[in-house]
Amino acid sequence: MPDLGQTAIDEAEKAGFDLSLVDESLRLTAEERARQHDQALALVLEFERIRSTRDEQPKRTAQATG
Amino acid sequence: MNSLSELLKRLADSGVEFVVVGGFAGVLHGSALVTRDLEICAVLTPANIEKLRAALRDLNPRHRMTPQRLSFLQTPAPGETANNLYLQTDWGVVDILSSILGLGDFESVKANSEFFEIGGKKCRLISLPDLVKAKVAMGREKDLLAAKELRAISAKRERDKPGLELK
Repeated sequence: MPDLGQTAIDEAEKAGFDLSLVDESLRLTAEERARQHDQALALVLEFERIRSTRDEQPKRTAQATG
Repeated sequence: MNSLSELLKRLADSGVEFVVVGGFAGVLHGSALVTRDLEICAVLTPANIEKLRAALRDLNPRHRMTPQRLSFLQTPAPGETANNLYLQTDWGVVDILSSILGLGDFESVKANSEFFEIGGKKCRLISLPDLVKAKVAMGREKDLLAAKELRAISAKRERDKPGLELK
């Protein structure tokens, strides 16, 4: 009989999930996971802000010189 | 400031009974995926809407799906109910849903929910099997992918459960 648990783990890994991150997360309490997620989201939003500022800059330069 | 966990603590203090669902529920269960919003399931009676308004009052809550970004402090009018509320606040996005696809209304979601603690408050969290069901029912590629990670989390949790000692 197939080990359904192992199948689920294999499928997640095949889909590209790094399950070592899940292992790390499972060692934390739910509150610690929530706090860690806040930090990750803040980083994502900061990268987005930097990217949009960078994308805006050439437009402004082109407008100024054009 | 963007902090879904602070937003969650604020809601936990609101006096409204709710269950955390969606991607953030996945995070609380151990998912490593990053989500941008907090989704909860609650009964949106006029009384609960007033409690939510009071809880979010100083966070500039507005309906993010309306072009005019109507203020949640005025809409819906007092005494009115709502099916779902899609809000943007100064601390992040919060969606308040009265039912969950694949599961049903608040009572159905609550039935299998479990408790977790945040900021010293006990909150309800959708069960892992129900979260997988909801993700599968959504059927979008990103939800099906998330369901794969959640199934793996479930499998890992099962493995870590202390087994019966055979003598």
